[in-house]
Amino acid sequence: MDVRNNRRQAGGSSVVTANRLLDGRIVWLAEDGAWSGRIDAARIFSNDGIEAVIDATARRQQADGVVGVYGVQISDDSTTPVPVTVRERIRAFGPTVHPEFATLTEVPSDVR
Amino acid sequence: MPLLENGRLVEDFWTTIGDDAPLPPTGPVIVPLERLEDGLARPAGEKLGVALPPDAEVAVLRAALPRLALVGVTFPTFRDGRAFSQARALREHLDFAGEIRVTGRPLPDQYEFLLRCGASTVQLPDGADPAVWARAHERFTTAYQPSVRDERAEGFGLRRFLA
Amino acid sequence: MSAETLATPDTAPVGHYAYDQVDRAFLHDRVEQFRDQVARRLSGALSEDEFKPLRLMNGLYLQLHAYMLRVAIPYGILDSRQMRELAHIARTYDRDYGHFTTRQNIQFNWIRLEDTPDILARLAAVDMHAIQTSGNCIRNVTCDQFAGAAVDELLDPRVHAEILRQWSTLHPEFSFLPRKFKIAISGSPHDRVAARFHDIGLVAKPGRHGTVFDVFVGGGMGRTPIVGVHLRDNLPEEDLLAYLEAMVRVYNEYGRRDNIYKARIKILVQALGAEAYREKVDAEFAAMDRARYRLPPETVAAIRARFGTPVLDAPSDAADRLAEARRADAAFDRWVRTNTHPHRAAGYISAVISLKPDGGIPGDATSAQLDTIADLAERFSFGEIRISHMQNVVLGHVRQDQLHALWRELGGAGLASANIGLIGDIIACPGLDYCSLANARSIPIAQKLSARFANPALQERIGDLQIKISGCINACGHHHAGHIGILGVDKKGEEFFQLTLGGSAGNDAAIGQILGPALPEDATVDAIAHLVDAYLVHRTEGERFLDTYRRLGAALFKDAVYALA
Repeated sequence: MDVRNNRRQAGGSSVVTANRLLDGRIVWLAEDGAWSGRIDAARIFSNDGIEAVIDATARRQQADGVVGVYGVQISDDSTTPVPVTVRERIRAFGPTVHPEFATLTEVPSDVR
Repeated sequence: MPLLENGRLVEDFWTTIGDDAPLPPTGPVIVPLERLEDGLARPAGEKLGVALPPDAEVAVLRAALPRLALVGVTFPTFRDGRAFSQARALREHLDFAGEIRVTGRPLPDQYEFLLRCGASTVQLPDGADPAVWARAHERFTTAYQPSVRDERAEGFGLRRFLA
Repeated sequence: MSAETLATPDTAPVGHYAYDQVDRAFLHDRVEQFRDQVARRLSGALSEDEFKPLRLMNGLYLQLHAYMLRVAIPYGILDSRQMRELAHIARTYDRDYGHFTTRQNIQFNWIRLEDTPDILARLAAVDMHAIQTSGNCIRNVTCDQFAGAAVDELLDPRVHAEILRQWSTLHPEFSFLPRKFKIAISGSPHDRVAARFHDIGLVAKPGRHGTVFDVFVGGGMGRTPIVGVHLRDNLPEEDLLAYLEAMVRVYNEYGRRDNIYKARIKILVQALGAEAYREKVDAEFAAMDRARYRLPPETVAAIRARFGTPVLDAPSDAADRLAEARRADAAFDRWVRTNTHPHRAAGYISAVISLKPDGGIPGDATSAQLDTIADLAERFSFGEIRISHMQNVVLGHVRQDQLHALWRELGGAGLASANIGLIGDIIACPGLDYCSLANARSIPIAQKLSARFANPALQERIGDLQIKISGCINACGHHHAGHIGILGVDKKGEEFFQLTLGGSAGNDAAIGQILGPALPEDATVDAIAHLVDAYLVHRTEGERFLDTYRRLGAALFKDAVYALA
């Protein structure tokens, strides 16, 4: 796994993401263990336990129909989860060069 | 492990000898390259094969080749395509006419490539479905380049009929 | 010549090879093979690790937001029927647009895995495919976008490009190489294919006894940019495939497999030294069964016979009528100055359709634009369409007296930007907006630059200046070869951009040198404005940006960017 995908601080919190096998779309692990296309539905995990969650989720990825499970650090000061890196913000909210493809209708204002 | 030849499972008469295992004095055996001398020391009539690691040049077998009935080439992973070149060099440069056996972790999707590079048999990896391998052999009827199998050319072009 | 013309099928497309039933059956088999592979992946019989190289060899990537399908456009040529099918695929299976790449291919960014076998079947129905547009195999062979048309060309290299396409298609020995392998071929002494930046670059020319090739090896960009080594001159046509077999076989045997960043042939050639590599190739070439790999003239003729050729019969006053139209229309005149290339036949000209509108995304075209280009190709250029590695489109054979009409139609479709070779003609990879490998976005900076320099008079005053932008060190945007290169880097999750100056992809191939510390996006756009200002102040008559940089060195430009900061 690319090191950028696992850039996490000791403290803080993360969400878990993957791509759907059938159509490749980005999904986020939600509260009920299901996968959602919206990051605002993602369950937020403390970084203390995130590796175990990623491992357990990765083990069932074939059954879940997803590929490439990894954790994404989010910033601590917003209600909607906002990833700390540009890359993950683009994954979460859509390509910046096509605003019409935004994945959430209301994108947090601090996202470029 | 199951052995595939021309898309069909066949019986395997060979015993593969590890680095430290004792070498039986008779019977067909495949020895590691570093034990080739031991193998050659057996009686001349006993069938001998050698397992070539991917980083070996086939030319190291040049002297021993008349005594060898089998050369093994291997895929540490399916991504490592050196065995294709080894097999083709054995056929094309050293005129080896014996069995070229593929071991390791090839994919069925590589089967036709292996045959066209001169491989004879494949020792199927654990869990492999022979039907998928057989299908891979029948998938294409045309190829676009010459191979060591000297398939019949289609017209003046590069195309070859895969029988 | 007449025998070949007779052998040409009635429907042979101009500029590329015409498939027959055997070729179509092969493509059908390939599509069914992939359908089977997808089914095995969905069932779990293939792991993602095992499936990935198989899908990549059919051009299917898993990118940031979705699967991306890269469709091959062999030697950059397609016909109007094929272009319409690409438009259909964009409309039906994607989000109504496609992106032309620096390898003359087209990419669709929002593809579903489950649709892909059907998309490949649709492509096969118009003799197209996505074979080997990715993977550690021999990739789509690229070619001069003015092949068969340019006045400076010695011979049309597309027949040999097609031979290489066929030879490399599902090559049994070379489909699992240490790393990807890119071949370019040119037939002009003026290198428009970046032959010296390819794993193998071939320059075809007429020899005493038929076509011969000059061979370059081990060039490339990426994290270790290297100008290719001149391996040999005058390789006879009949030895072309044998020699390439020997070159690639040596690479397959000795190329590194322990580190993907050191696995390209350029690293092998550097590690062995050019002489030692050449000796190994020559030894292999001497040992191989040359009769088996010989490329006889009959084979070349048979493949050439399946190429349609345009009947070039412009009226004798065509050039005069073009001159008249240019005098009457200053905007048209400007477009002709920048967006055309001289043709070998009297009364004809090659027209470049810029896919770089002001503030637009380099290389993107909507389905409607793809359809328009197909229509215009039929009306004005024998249905033949070329994609350039600069991410533009070329109509190769336009009658000069019809050029004004073509230009007016292009204007109506938003396709008449007059900026070819100028600062607005920016190469950019998809960058972090799409690509899972990228460190930074490439497109927004291209858009800001193109908007900033939108004024056509200013662009023309600045003259020949190539800006090339890559969103990561893999250098798909060819930044190493840009007069001004921009490389996106990641600093703790934020985007920064490094400038390089002095690169060139042509006969004077050179790798750009890093100017100074990386800058944030907006500062990068300002920095380029300062570089251009410095150039305009210091250039001498007729001097390109690149020439001024070479004459005066980096210090002046470094001051222009960093002294103000």
